[in-house]
Amino acid sequence: MTPGVVRRIVVVGNGIAGVTAADTLRALGFDGELTLVGDEPHPAYSRPALSKALLRDDDLASHLLPPPTHGATELRGVRVTALDPRARTVLLDGGDRLPYDGLVVATGCRARRLTEGDPDPAVELTLRSLEDALALRQRIAVRPDVVVVGGGPLGMEIASACLDAGCAVTLVSRGRPLVHQLGRHLSDVLVAAGLARGLRLETVGAARLERVDGGTRVVLADGRSLEAALVVTAAGDRANVEWLASSGLLRGGVLEADAAGRVRPDVVAAGDVAAVPTPAGVRRVPLWTSAIEAGRNAATALLQPDAVPTTTRPYFWTEQFGLSVKAVGHLPFGGDPALVDGDPGADRSLLQWGDGGSDGAGAAVAVNYRIPIPRLRRLCDAVA
Amino acid sequence: MRITVDRPRCEGHGLCEEAAPALMHLDDDGELVLDVEEVEDGSPAAAAAAAAARVCPVAALRLE
Repeated sequence: MTPGVVRRIVVVGNGIAGVTAADTLRALGFDGELTLVGDEPHPAYSRPALSKALLRDDDLASHLLPPPTHGATELRGVRVTALDPRARTVLLDGGDRLPYDGLVVATGCRARRLTEGDPDPAVELTLRSLEDALALRQRIAVRPDVVVVGGGPLGMEIASACLDAGCAVTLVSRGRPLVHQLGRHLSDVLVAAGLARGLRLETVGAARLERVDGGTRVVLADGRSLEAALVVTAAGDRANVEWLASSGLLRGGVLEADAAGRVRPDVVAAGDVAAVPTPAGVRRVPLWTSAIEAGRNAATALLQPDAVPTTTRPYFWTEQFGLSVKAVGHLPFGGDPALVDGDPGADRSLLQWGDGGSDGAGAAVAVNYRIPIPRLRRLCDAVA
Repeated sequence: MRITVDRPRCEGHGLCEEAAPALMHLDDDGELVLDVEEVEDGSPAAAAAAAAARVCPVAALRLE
C-alpha cells in the first residue's frame, strides 16, 4: 500500500486516542473520507476527570473536551461488531459495512466486573464511562456506607471521593493498595493519607458479590463478608477486542501493535485497547498522555509507513486523600527515592529515583508540588 | 481566536506546554502563563493552540 491510495479511513473508537488519531490525520494533510465510529453517545471526553474532579467538585464540565476539528463523519452510539481485514470492511451493529483503505482501532477498555455474567448496578457499580460517574455521584450524595473493591489508583480515587462526600468507606484490596501499580513508597504515602482521613482498609481480596436486602454483600477470600448500601468495584479493565475475534489479528486474545501502532500495513491501533512494546514487555499502557501519543503515532504510521514514532516516558497522575501525585517514568517505582525538594513528611515533596522505574531507568514524582511536566521529565532524564 | 485559561480548574500538568511551547508555559510556581493570547484562525499557531486545549485532561484551556 502506498500513501497515495489511502482515500478512506475509518477510526473505530471515539475516545481520546481515536479523536487524536483523526485530528492527526487531518494535520498531516489527509483530506479523504474520514469516519469516526464510537459506541458512546457523547463526543470524546476526559476519562481521567471522571474519577477526580467530576466526582468531587461542583464543576460538572471538567471532563468536556474542545469540539473536534477533524470534520469526520461521526457515528456515535454505534457499535462495530466485526472486522474483515481481507475485504477491508468493518461491520456495524445493524448490518451496515464500512469500507476502508486504512483503519484505526481505538476501542479502548471496559471495566472488569465481579458480576461479569449478570451485571446488576444495584449490586455493583463500576467507574469507566460518563454515565457511571454521574450515577456514582448521585448515589454517594445521600452518604451511604460504601465498600470499594480494588486497591489500584482508581479504587483509591473512588474511596477518596466517597469519603469527601461524607460516606463511611471500606476499601477491599488484595494486599496493600497501590504497591503493585505504583510501588512501595507511593503506596505508603497515599495509604497513610487515606487512613488519616478515616479510610478503613481490608487487605484480604474480594471473592464475590451477593445481593442482599438494602445493598450488597462482599464475600472475602477468607470467607468473611462485608455488607454495604453501595459497592463500587475497580477491579481492572478488559480490552474491547471481541469484535476482532474473527479478524485473525488477535494473538491469544490480545491486540498487539508495534511501537508506531502498526498491526499490519493498513491497520493501526492506539489507546487502551492495544498492547505495545514497553521496557517491561508487550503490554497495554492505559494512560491519558500515552493514548494521545499513540493516537498521533498510529495516524502517522497509516499515512507515512516509514515514520519514526515519538514516545516519551509515561506520565501518570492521581488525586486522592488531599494529595496530588504526578509521576514520570515506568511504574511501579521500586526502592526509596531521593528528596529533591520539599518536606520529608511528604506533604509536599519532589522525589527522584535513580533507577527505580520498572525499566531500570529513572523516575520522578511530585507530591502536592506544582511543577511543569516538562521539568519533571527533565528531572527523570537527569538520572536516567 | 483567543486562548483563555480557567484558573481554578488548571491543575498545572503542563501538557499544554508540551503541545504548544511557543504559546504557553508554566512558570516556576507551576502557574500557566499564556505567552500568546490571540492566534489567527487557520494558522499553525491556532492548530497548536487546539492541540494544547485537547490534551488538557481537565478542560482548563479554551479557544474562543
